[in-house]
Amino acid sequence: MTTISRHEFLLRARLDQATLEAWVTEEWLIPGGSAGAPAFTDADLARAALIHDLKHDLAVNDAGIGVILGLIDQVHGLRRTLADLLREARERGRAPE
Amino acid sequence: MRDPYEVLGVERSASLDDIRTTYRKLAKKLHPDLNPGNKKAEEQFKEVSSAYDLLSDPEKRARFDRGEIDATGAERPRQRFYRDFADTDHAYADASGFEDFAAGDDIIAEILRRQAQARANAPGADLHFRLAVDFLDAVNGATLRLTVPNSETLEVKIPPGVEDGQVLRLRGKGAPGRGTGKPGDALVEIAVNPHRFFTREGDDIHLELPITLTEAVLGGEVPVPTPTGTVMMRVPKNSNAGATLRLRGKGVHRASGGHGDELVRLKVMLPPGPDPELETFVSGWVTGRAHDPRRGMQP
Repeated sequence: MTTISRHEFLLRARLDQATLEAWVTEEWLIPGGSAGAPAFTDADLARAALIHDLKHDLAVNDAGIGVILGLIDQVHGLRRTLADLLREARERGRAPE
Repeated sequence: MRDPYEVLGVERSASLDDIRTTYRKLAKKLHPDLNPGNKKAEEQFKEVSSAYDLLSDPEKRARFDRGEIDATGAERPRQRFYRDFADTDHAYADASGFEDFAAGDDIIAEILRRQAQARANAPGADLHFRLAVDFLDAVNGATLRLTVPNSETLEVKIPPGVEDGQVLRLRGKGAPGRGTGKPGDALVEIAVNPHRFFTREGDDIHLELPITLTEAVLGGEVPVPTPTGTVMMRVPKNSNAGATLRLRGKGVHRASGGHGDELVRLKVMLPPGPDPELETFVSGWVTGRAHDPRRGMQP
C-alpha cells in the first residue's frame, strides 16, 4: 500500500493539524513512519472518514468512538477468520463439525 | 433519484431538528462501516446521505422546494469506506475475537495460528520516492544520497545511461517487515534535469556547436564539450552551418555494452557588431553574389 504524507493526509481527510494530533493521541489513528514524519495509508484515510461520520453525522461522543472502532476492528477480524474457515471447509469438501 | 423527503420519511414541513434526528437514526442503522458485508446498506446509506445533504442546507432545501434543483443536486462524492480495507493488513487489524476457540487442535486453531504467523511476519511495504538527477550524472552514472521521510539517508547508485522516468529498485530499503518478514523495497523514480547545451536522443548526445566564420571556411581543430570532458574535433575546410559531425563513442553508455555517439551540429557565428572589413570583402565577393542557396525552394 502506498503511503501518504501528513500534509496530503490533512488535505484529503479535510482535517486540521490539532484534530489529527488529538485522534492520534486517542489511538483512533495509528500512522506508520516516525513521529516526525508519519506515513498514512488509504486505510487511515477511510478510517478518518468513519471517525468523522461517527462524530458529526451520528453524534457519537468521544468515549463511544473508541469503543465502536474497537468493535468494528474485531468484527473485521471475525469476518476474515470466518472466511478463511469457510474456504478451508470447502477445500476439505465437508462442512465443519 | 427519489424524493428526499420520501427517502428520509419526513413531512415536507419537518423542522431542521426533525430532519437531523431522523437522519441520525437512519445513519446509525445504515452506515456501511456499521454493516460490513451488507451491500444493500451502502446503497441505502448513499441515498439517505444525499437526501440529508440537500434537506439540511436551508438554501438548497428552499431551492428544491421551489423546483429549482432536483434531488441529485447535492450528491456528495464519497471516498472508500473503512470496511473496504477489512481484508488488508493494517495497523488496526484485530483477530482476538476467536481466541477462546483456539484451545484445541482443531481446524479453527490451525487457521488462527496461520493467520497470526502471517501477521507476525508480514513483509514490509514498498516505498516510492522521486529523485532529481543532473543530466551528466544520468549519462555517466553517480552515487547520490536521498533523504527519506523517516530521516534516514539512502545511497542510490545511478547506473550510467539511466533514463528519465526509469524506476530503480533498492531491495530491502522499504518499510521494515514484521517478525521474520522481509523489508519492502524502495522504488526510486528518476527525473533527469535538462542540461544547458546537451540533449539526449536514445543513446546519442546532441550538441549545437558555435564556430567562427574563419573556422567554417578554413577548417581547423576546435574544442568540443562531451559528457566525459572536452575533446578536440577537426572541422573540415568549407563546413556549412547545420552540418552535423559525429564523435563516435562519445554518447550514452548502452546497457548492452558500448556507447552511443555525440552528434555535433555546426552553427556559424559572426562576430558581434558590424565589421567594416568583412562588409567590404563581402560586397566585392563575386561568387557570393552569384550563389543562390534557395534555388529549388519554389513551392
